[in-house]
Amino acid sequence: MNNFNLEIVTPIRELDEEKVSYIRCPGLDGSFGIMANHREGVFALSVGEIKILKNGKEEYWATGGGFAEIMKDKVKLLVESIETSSEIDSARAEKSLERATQRKSEHNNLDEERIEASLMRAINRLSVSRR
Amino acid sequence: MANLKDIRDRIKSVKSIQKVTKAMKMVAAAKMRRAQERMEHSRPYSNSLTEVIHHLLPDVDRNSLPLLDVREIKRKAYVIVSADRGLAGALNTNLLKVAQKEIDEFGKENVDLFCIGKKARDHFKRREYNIITSHVDFWADMEFDSAMKIGRSIIEHFTSGKVDEIHVVFNYFINVGKQEVKSEILLPLIFEAEDNVAHDRLYEPSKEELVSSLIPRHLNVQMWKYLLESYASEQAARMLAMENATTNAEDMIKDLTLQFNKARQAAITTEMLEIVGGAEALG
Repeated sequence: MNNFNLEIVTPIRELDEEKVSYIRCPGLDGSFGIMANHREGVFALSVGEIKILKNGKEEYWATGGGFAEIMKDKVKLLVESIETSSEIDSARAEKSLERATQRKSEHNNLDEERIEASLMRAINRLSVSRR
Repeated sequence: MANLKDIRDRIKSVKSIQKVTKAMKMVAAAKMRRAQERMEHSRPYSNSLTEVIHHLLPDVDRNSLPLLDVREIKRKAYVIVSADRGLAGALNTNLLKVAQKEIDEFGKENVDLFCIGKKARDHFKRREYNIITSHVDFWADMEFDSAMKIGRSIIEHFTSGKVDEIHVVFNYFINVGKQEVKSEILLPLIFEAEDNVAHDRLYEPSKEELVSSLIPRHLNVQMWKYLLESYASEQAARMLAMENATTNAEDMIKDLTLQFNKARQAAITTEMLEIVGGAEALG
């Protein structure tokens, strides 16, 4: 498989550019894959799991949403948060899941969208951490 | 001349103050370095984001986006980013002075305030300005999430039409020795349109939707930047103030020691004269 460059940028860190052969991203309406020589474009990403194939090895990352900018020879992921499966503190994720579930059941109208979003993030991080 | 014990006590107290200022200086230096690092880390993200927005904007109808909506200005909101604590030279005073002047020029009844940091909150609360919310006590464990949380309430204030323009007053970090009070317009967003894009690009979802979700993210980063700049400035100013305090304490200790030695000498001389005088009287 052909390789291409992957650059991941977040507000708090910039990860080193890497050569990868395949990326699977969570798009707004379902996952999509990127391989070398993909058509250029900009894609919105939702909360979910990013799978990367690097040197024949799979890696899983959890992201809080953002954008993928696909250029000629490289892909740039602009995301608000990203963690590898090994980085995730599953105890913390568990706790925030609990908190979000509890808030949701309370129904105090406190911005349902936000609660839903934090619930999604917690579930996503947990599922990626189990990879 | 002050007596020996008094001088000795003063030297002791100045020395212990010096210890404190020295420690504060070191702590501030460490915190500043961390904030600087974070500022550098946030730059690539913010630049890339701005770039993408620039590429998209020429093809998007601005009027459809509430955050780009330029209205007649009847009411303004000010976001004032100050520190939680003092002992940082004139940093907070300068900032509050600039902010208050700008607000008063527009008329304080027509301005809503978002105060970040205790100094701003206390200052404007005392003077009965119209404070909507204040955010304090978060600097120590400041994360990107804090910026998002603060940003959200401010943006809502604009989109709901309560105000027509949002300004941010903060300390801009130029270098360790220099910070500058800056006042910027946060909303409505003004981008200089740029048009040098490969047109054969794929956008998903539509360009409009992309822009409308990119812009809040851009604002989050902007907010994050304001917080970091202010925090770095605060620490730098404190570092400098404490450095000066330490040097002053050093000078004071020198003076006091000189005084102490003089007093001691004088005491010895008097004693000697007394002994000699006594001996002469006996002989």
